[in-house]
Amino acid sequence: MPVRISKPGKYSLVLDTPVMNAAGILGFGDQYRPLIDFAALGAFVTNPITYTPWNPASGTRVISLPSGALVHTGLPNPGSSKVLTLYRTLWSRFPIPVIAHVVAHAPEEMSMCIAMLDREESIAALEIGLADDLAPSEVEWYIHAAAKRTEKPLLARLHHGASHEHARAALDAGADAIVAFAPPRGTARDPLARLTAGRLYGPMIKPLTLRIVGQIARKLPGVTLIAAGGIHSEADARDYLDAGATAVQVDAAVWSDPALLARIGKDLAGLLLTRPVGIDDELLEQFLSGKPAR
Amino acid sequence: MNQTQAIIERVRRVSDSHQRLSLAVESSVLNIKPGQSLLVRQTNNWEPYLRETWYPVSIDNNLLVVERPGAQHYAPGSVIDLIAPIGSPFRFRKTLRSILLIAQDTPPTPLLYALLPLLVNRIAVTLVLLGSARTYATEHLPPEVEIVRGDGDGLTWQNQVTAVGWADQVLAVVSPDREMEQFRALWLLFRELRADIPANYLFAVHTPTLPCGVGACGACTVRLQGGTALACVEGPALDMTRLSFSP
Repeated sequence: MPVRISKPGKYSLVLDTPVMNAAGILGFGDQYRPLIDFAALGAFVTNPITYTPWNPASGTRVISLPSGALVHTGLPNPGSSKVLTLYRTLWSRFPIPVIAHVVAHAPEEMSMCIAMLDREESIAALEIGLADDLAPSEVEWYIHAAAKRTEKPLLARLHHGASHEHARAALDAGADAIVAFAPPRGTARDPLARLTAGRLYGPMIKPLTLRIVGQIARKLPGVTLIAAGGIHSEADARDYLDAGATAVQVDAAVWSDPALLARIGKDLAGLLLTRPVGIDDELLEQFLSGKPAR
Repeated sequence: MNQTQAIIERVRRVSDSHQRLSLAVESSVLNIKPGQSLLVRQTNNWEPYLRETWYPVSIDNNLLVVERPGAQHYAPGSVIDLIAPIGSPFRFRKTLRSILLIAQDTPPTPLLYALLPLLVNRIAVTLVLLGSARTYATEHLPPEVEIVRGDGDGLTWQNQVTAVGWADQVLAVVSPDREMEQFRALWLLFRELRADIPANYLFAVHTPTLPCGVGACGACTVRLQGGTALACVEGPALDMTRLSFSP
């Protein structure tokens, strides 16, 4: 059962199944291909891409926590131009849409990066990774800077705990969908007792995220919400759809259990056959008549 | 690389601090080479959350033998989930006659799988144990391996100048918590002891915690001079002449 993420049009984003990986989990494309059946996913989200190369973080990058982990990579990547050189051919052969996850320090930088990625046919949509400390007005600047440089579907990934006001600001500026959320930030001591900051992963993230996803869905009826945070089972993913999400992104659980993505994909595809979620009338009609949705 | 399952067939304590597990694995996993490792998940719950890196040390009767800390409990008959092989094999010089293995503040386990093939090829092997690695018991290692323990907690050991000059190649593993700091100190030591450090001579064996192990997450990215490398893909052994030690 296809799920529409963006408005109908030239670059409409429609997923065959409402599950994808979160940015930063599966690399840029080929790293997990021996271990994951990508055809079972709705889309593939790339690792963060920046306009210029970013170096890896210094110091401790990974701290194991009880039933979780803190990870701080610094989002190393060779910059948008090199990423395209390395991966555009691979992406063009992917069985599913490729969503490029873009990060920038400033709206101007975002604009330049989006302009470069917009020309790339192998990219179906763009996901904007927004920093943690942005006010709703600043969210609007970033999304506006991106939206004016592309006609491709834009997904705005908000920081953990962002409110419906952040989501509304992103939608008003031109985002087609809201990704809720980036993993929350935390601080923990490394084995040498140094305090280290990073993003938190683990099952406990889900209850925190689920509540806010439900709140945004209620405050912004009709919004296309892609929920992300702490999904570790098929039941976790279903909970997000129950809370009003249209699709889900799975993060660090995939590192331990790579087959989880495909299991969730199959489970949600089956679920949607009996209980459409995030489906518009046109798509439902196409599905029932057997005509392709794209 | 494959995801597969294995059975712990045997658990044998080899010293006060370490034990060895004999794993029944798929035949493809037995092709694992020195330098490569396994990413292991032991349970279906999320504790521990990330997979653990297990290092093979030998193959015995078609069972893959790994070395693990003695404090961990493993039950014969238990099934574990593997992703393997992780990383690239060690690249030994074709003209290799003698090799120096160094472990500082960490057990030498990631280096041990290389011992047998090196000895079979009549390569002279010296294992230097520094810092907390000095307490690593070595009675279970092949008697042909020369064991040298460091003086105190620093980077000195007996006949250091001779050993550094004599070795054709050096592989060093250090504490994963202070990797770049300790590799830098080793690099400076070798620069002091040798007129020059050629390429393919001194290797840093990286053993950070690997969230994904396949080159996707970027957590094990190592800075090189003019680029980066992923320890889980191009490593674990990276030529120290390529590393960037700047903060």
